[in-house]
Amino acid sequence: MGNYILRRLFQIIITLVIFQTLLFLILDAQPGDITLQYLTDPRVTPEIRDQMRIALGLNKPPIERYLQWLRNFITGNLGISFSHYPRPVLDIILERAPRTIVLFLTSTLVSFFVGFVLGKQLAWRRGGGFEYSMTMVGVVLYTIFTPWFGLMLIYLLGLRLGWLPVGKFLDPILWRDVPVDANYVFARLGFTGLILSLLIAVLWLSSTRLSPVKRRSLRLIGVLMIVGISLGGWALSEVGYLAADMLEHMILPVTVATLVSFAGTMLMMRNTMLETLKEDFVMATRAKGLSEAEVRDKHAARNAFLPVFTNLIISIPFVLSGGIITETIFSWPGMGLTLLQAVQNEDVPLAMGAMTCVGIFALFAHLFADVTYAFLDPRIRYQ
Amino acid sequence: MNDKPILSVRNLTMHYYTRKGDVSAVDDVSFDLARGQSLGLVGESGCGKTSVAFSLLRLLPENAQLLAGNVYLDGCDVLALDEKEVRKIRWRGISMVFQAAMNALDPVYRVGDQIIEALQTHFRGLGEAEARDRVIELFPMVGLDPSLMERYPHEFSGGMRQRAVIAMALSCDPRVIIADEPTTALDVIVQDRILNELRAIQRKMGMSMIYITHDIAVIAEVSDRIGVMYAGRMAELASAVDIFENPFHPYTHALMNAFPSIEGEKQELKALPGEPPDLLSPPSGCRFHPRCSRRIESCNRLQPPFEDMGDDHFVACWNPREVGNG
Amino acid sequence: MVEITKTQFSELTEPMWRIRSRLIWRSFIENWKLFMEYPIGMIGLGIIIIFGLMALAHPILMKYVWEPRVYDPVIGYDISILAHPSPPSSTHLLGTDPLGRDVLSQLLYGTRFGFSLGISAALVSVIVSTTVGALSAYYGGIVDVLFMRLADVVIMLPFIAILIVLSALIEFNGFSLAIVYGLLVGFGGQTIVIKSQALSIKVKPYIEAARAAGGSDWHIIFTHLIPNLMPLSFLYMMFTVTGAVFAEAALSFFGLLNIRMSWGIMINTAQAAGYLLAGPEYLHLMLPAGLAITLLCSSFYMVGRALDEVVNPRLRQR
Repeated sequence: MGNYILRRLFQIIITLVIFQTLLFLILDAQPGDITLQYLTDPRVTPEIRDQMRIALGLNKPPIERYLQWLRNFITGNLGISFSHYPRPVLDIILERAPRTIVLFLTSTLVSFFVGFVLGKQLAWRRGGGFEYSMTMVGVVLYTIFTPWFGLMLIYLLGLRLGWLPVGKFLDPILWRDVPVDANYVFARLGFTGLILSLLIAVLWLSSTRLSPVKRRSLRLIGVLMIVGISLGGWALSEVGYLAADMLEHMILPVTVATLVSFAGTMLMMRNTMLETLKEDFVMATRAKGLSEAEVRDKHAARNAFLPVFTNLIISIPFVLSGGIITETIFSWPGMGLTLLQAVQNEDVPLAMGAMTCVGIFALFAHLFADVTYAFLDPRIRYQ
Repeated sequence: MNDKPILSVRNLTMHYYTRKGDVSAVDDVSFDLARGQSLGLVGESGCGKTSVAFSLLRLLPENAQLLAGNVYLDGCDVLALDEKEVRKIRWRGISMVFQAAMNALDPVYRVGDQIIEALQTHFRGLGEAEARDRVIELFPMVGLDPSLMERYPHEFSGGMRQRAVIAMALSCDPRVIIADEPTTALDVIVQDRILNELRAIQRKMGMSMIYITHDIAVIAEVSDRIGVMYAGRMAELASAVDIFENPFHPYTHALMNAFPSIEGEKQELKALPGEPPDLLSPPSGCRFHPRCSRRIESCNRLQPPFEDMGDDHFVACWNPREVGNG
Repeated sequence: MVEITKTQFSELTEPMWRIRSRLIWRSFIENWKLFMEYPIGMIGLGIIIIFGLMALAHPILMKYVWEPRVYDPVIGYDISILAHPSPPSSTHLLGTDPLGRDVLSQLLYGTRFGFSLGISAALVSVIVSTTVGALSAYYGGIVDVLFMRLADVVIMLPFIAILIVLSALIEFNGFSLAIVYGLLVGFGGQTIVIKSQALSIKVKPYIEAARAAGGSDWHIIFTHLIPNLMPLSFLYMMFTVTGAVFAEAALSFFGLLNIRMSWGIMINTAQAAGYLLAGPEYLHLMLPAGLAITLLCSSFYMVGRALDEVVNPRLRQR
């Protein structure tokens, strides 16, 4: 297992290098350079522009610049943003990246879970109105034009009904005189979420060996306790209401991101489940006298789940893409919105930095999914 | 000692409904299985033997329907039970070793755990430790090392998987075990070994067994009684000795002749002309009549009744062979 | 021993091509019957046909029914109406947009655009992925490794992000977008799937038979491998169309493309002029375009799903 992770990390590094090279080529291929923006400024003479070029190292041969680019990248020097001058790009990215991670992770998990459950049901109840209508709804939602859909929902739920906030990820008025930084609260929230999931995962795994009855009650009590304690902790802290505000802003973007992507998992789950149900061991399990629910969940779904999980790995970049669009619609200040604005404003360093960040996300999400897959499928572990 | 048969099948009839029509897979099949006895069901592919097995366990697919018949397991009619009660019977009353049993194991769970699962399903209060002890007992019986229970199915060889599946079938002390072509997918040497072991276990535990196969040579070794099936119907049912030495049904006789024997002089193998019928529209009257050399007038009009010719030797034929005739 | 004489072969009564086309036709009818069993596919197909008719209608309307100066989707302007955008009326069935152009005309023109974009992208992706997949599977070795690593790099990155960045470099118009999108898809995930399918075909007995009969590599790849990959490729074409139309709409909405008129541009125009969330009387600006994008994408996806059932026989209901 350790070997597997090391191998994959090595592959990631290589892919990252290729990726950065491609980015460099794109950057370099653009006609002109930074100094061109001063063309219309009469105070900047051509001589000054030449000096700027030399100072920025733009007159050196491409190979040298390429190596410098790589060196910069490795040391984390991603340049200084044009549109947010003089903030360094890395600074901006570090501020915004966590928000994308939270949005992306939540929507991926929820959409996967929803798709998994629905797909399992679809396969189990083959044919009939349920399969038909669910598939139609799923397909339409999957292919709906996200900006339009998001805007409609904002209009309905935000403007007309006023139930949910209209955009961004906090209410500026509420936060005006607050001594804490938005990122502070956000980081705390994310941290809580992480601990919660870890605890629940540990609980789940440690209780697999128990007898069915004990297992079920332990899990239920454990989850309730964990969630209860964290809710209580937050309610009692001074920044609790601020966190609540953030969560409120998260609802709509996460909902949209989930609705738009769950059908992919759902339909794939249905397909693989149908194939799994034809396998011999499903019948053998039924012959052993297990109930239909046990056959379906413990055995068929557990096996069908594996290819679906592979599909999840492949679809991570698409969820990230969808996330970019969602961020833009809801003005959710994460990596996606940053990337788009940077491109629209021709803020080259920021655009490249954001793109790099997105690429790294995707690669590590991939790695994480691969490792989890190896963990789930015993057959892979020995390769 | 209880003399009543442990399993009594009467007039079992089952159809499959497909896009192309109604397949008459099992038609009016009846037989008894005495305690501790091994019954062999033999016949060509598609003759209905596996369908009979699935009917006994009520494991039929959605498009199958039981149209008639009773299956008395120790006096209780399995076909009349509801879903919940059938689940209790499965594995505990009748268990099965599947054809190509290698695929009967779930690849993502350890082998030992799958047997423990069967145990815990049927013995509600059974603790983890006791269940594991039972598996540790079971494995040596089928020739497997107990430490193997921690492994996953893909780590086992074909023969080992077969043994594991047999162990699983034995785990809940079933009254009847059905072995559906358990050795077809294995090479001959392993096949031989497993056959002998299975027979030994059956005798030792005094289990009743139904052994399904298309291989006559195998059935001779393993069965006390033999039932010959053709096109969904039972053609002949008698003791193993009687089937071999004195087959009444022309089909049985043809089957015996299709296999070479080591003893006696060299003879030409007589193949049976024609092919098994299409069960979508089976032939009228006796289903074997188009290929039968002893065909008479009534054969294509009426189905012959399944009757005892004496000495528990049943035959469904209008013109059965006499003793010693050809 | 029976002697095989030459005359036995020259006794074929029909030319080879006619036999072949008859076989192809027959298998097409078979598959069509199967396809018809899935209502989802039929609905998708129906919607596509409706859109097709819309696309065809536009040039006819422009030429014979509508006054070009008023109804041109890009440069038309209706002077008879004072305030643009105007709500739907008898002369403008879907109203006019903030720049005074007829919305219905834009919608119909957008259909033409959407089809050509989607189908071009799909064609490019199919050509690339089928060829690459077949070559990878057939030759294996370094060719395989190269293409698969490339595919790995491509699929790891989100499309929209790549397209956004590329749009800073290339002034995308419809044509170039179609090609770039097709290339991205073709070298990415699709090629992996097609390659594994090609691998399973490669080991079939008839390929060996063809090789034993003296067939060259090229011949085997093009006469046997690729035709058998066609159903799968065709299936993926559907999904590529969906993705291409969606990507164009999203990028247009963000204002990153250099396209004269498309559904995405329609929404972008409305947004730039601030009418997007302005209220129900301006719904005609956003609703038709958004709906059209959704429906076209959905319909191709639905056809794709139904085709999936046909192409993948393991899923067929009894």
